[in-house]
Amino acid sequence: MPATFKGVMQSTVTPLNDDFSLDLSTFEKVLDFHVNTGATAISWPHHKAESLSLTFEERKLFAEVAVKVVNGRVPVTIHVSSLAVEDTLALARHAEEIGADGILAITPYVWAPTTKSIEEYFTKLCQSIGISVISYNSPSYLAGVEISGELMARLIEKLPNFVGVKEASFNSEKFAEIARIALPIRPDFALVTGVEFLLPSVPLGGVGSYSAAGSICPNLCTQLWESCVVGDWPKTREIQMKMTRIWHLFKDQYPSSLKGGMVIMGRPVGPTRAPLPTASRERQDYIRTQLEEMGILDSEPHGW
Amino acid sequence: MTFEPGLIHAPLTPFTDNGRINFDDYLRLLSFHVSHGADCLALPMHVGEAVNMSDAEQRKLIAFALENIGNTPVIAHVTDAGTQIAADRAVFAAEKGAQAIVATTPYYWTPPQSMLIEHFTQIAAATSLPFYVHNAPADMSGVKINLDLVLKLIDRAPNFLGVIDSGLDWQFMLELVTEAPKLRPEFQLVSGNEFLVSASAIGATSCLSTLAAITPLQMRKLYDACRADHLFEARKVQEAVAELYQIVKTGGVAALKAASSAMNRDLGSPRPPLSRLGESETRNLTAQILRAIPSETEPRGWV
Repeated sequence: MPATFKGVMQSTVTPLNDDFSLDLSTFEKVLDFHVNTGATAISWPHHKAESLSLTFEERKLFAEVAVKVVNGRVPVTIHVSSLAVEDTLALARHAEEIGADGILAITPYVWAPTTKSIEEYFTKLCQSIGISVISYNSPSYLAGVEISGELMARLIEKLPNFVGVKEASFNSEKFAEIARIALPIRPDFALVTGVEFLLPSVPLGGVGSYSAAGSICPNLCTQLWESCVVGDWPKTREIQMKMTRIWHLFKDQYPSSLKGGMVIMGRPVGPTRAPLPTASRERQDYIRTQLEEMGILDSEPHGW
Repeated sequence: MTFEPGLIHAPLTPFTDNGRINFDDYLRLLSFHVSHGADCLALPMHVGEAVNMSDAEQRKLIAFALENIGNTPVIAHVTDAGTQIAADRAVFAAEKGAQAIVATTPYYWTPPQSMLIEHFTQIAAATSLPFYVHNAPADMSGVKINLDLVLKLIDRAPNFLGVIDSGLDWQFMLELVTEAPKLRPEFQLVSGNEFLVSASAIGATSCLSTLAAITPLQMRKLYDACRADHLFEARKVQEAVAELYQIVKTGGVAALKAASSAMNRDLGSPRPPLSRLGESETRNLTAQILRAIPSETEPRGWV
């Protein structure tokens, strides 16, 4: 039975030592923290985990750690997107070999591929492995390149392991279009939003989110999801507005600010690799005042 | 009590064969909107070819609507490239009895936010009517407003009541409903298109619809379900309306006029520089529209 991908899924950050090398023991703590605080799935390394600043070997190493530490408690997906398609394919095969439940892959970086080449790319990727593939739409970061609703439908029709999308357009029309076209073809297609934009997506058929703020406020993430699925819209609005404020706090210099916030929450994960900056002490102080003002310091777990 | 527009229909503008405004058909069209679910009318919006009409024609159209449609409120759209022209038209609309004013970002210029604030402040100050800003980046070469502009405009324009947002951007809409009511509790987010489930979930309380000319009853159903917070239940009608949106999207006003003809409500051709759809495009669009809108769900003709 293939894994299902829904609810507030956590994509973890990558802990680093002061010399910017991988911090293995803290990574294990991060994974356990998320599983223990309600993550419905784990995914690593999304862009916020500095995937593009990690070497090929580092990505393979921590992917193995993630699968091993989570140990079947929740599904694990590995984000395999790389600049070179060959690297993406190799990381996908590796994810399958180590026992991951699925992979996540964005539309190709840098170039402006045609719809046909995006279709060929995902076809090749899906056919090269037997585990689940979740696609990743982020047109605002990739010069408008995206998987349209129609292309999504074609991919679903021909690829049995093309099971979902991380939809990070944050756009009503784009999300509705994919739901309208894709879900009738595969009703259990995992239409998942990026960040925690559950309020505008769940009523249209969204089944969850890859969380941005889960390492700071996992309790709030769970509350948002729970109020959303039962259709308690007034409460969901209230939580989503709070989440919006949190997103704005961390969106600036993401994920550096997020790592800075984790220091405040007693879960330090070290610096951020260049070209991203590392959150300064002043930035951390500012984050502390904001989290305090929002009541996060009292309502969310401190430490691991 | 604060003005709240509800479901706003944005009518097309019918033209005769020789390109004049067809006021007989316009009266029939306005009556059709009022009797098919409009709480309010906004005119002449872009979909009503405001930019294809002279200032005098736009004034005549606004005055005609206000004289002929009884109690249904009218939001007068006054956008122009020049701030003073837009402000003067707002004054005219107020004198004729409009209930509110809306202005989009100015044409052609690619203004920084500081210019936009000045533009909107002057138009808002021209009357004491409720004033809405229309954020329509897709129509306006990507020019859009940001949260900072909205907060500054709240400070500078006491009658600035809300944003009609056609940008579809969840992040911007969430910013608006989170921050703007702190400075102006009666601030309104109005969805500027028919993707109402997401907008309404976020907090939109009204909706501006151009598709209401084609599918007024489904739009009413969608709006009522969303306002009642029946968001899961609204999904089916949202998808039906979204399908129509995609059918007419590429062809714009010409496609909407062809769709209106398909529903037996002929409104003539658009004015130059727009042109009517070609024969095969019209045939295809008509077939798609009639397939997407079963006759039992929407009226054909003016009844």
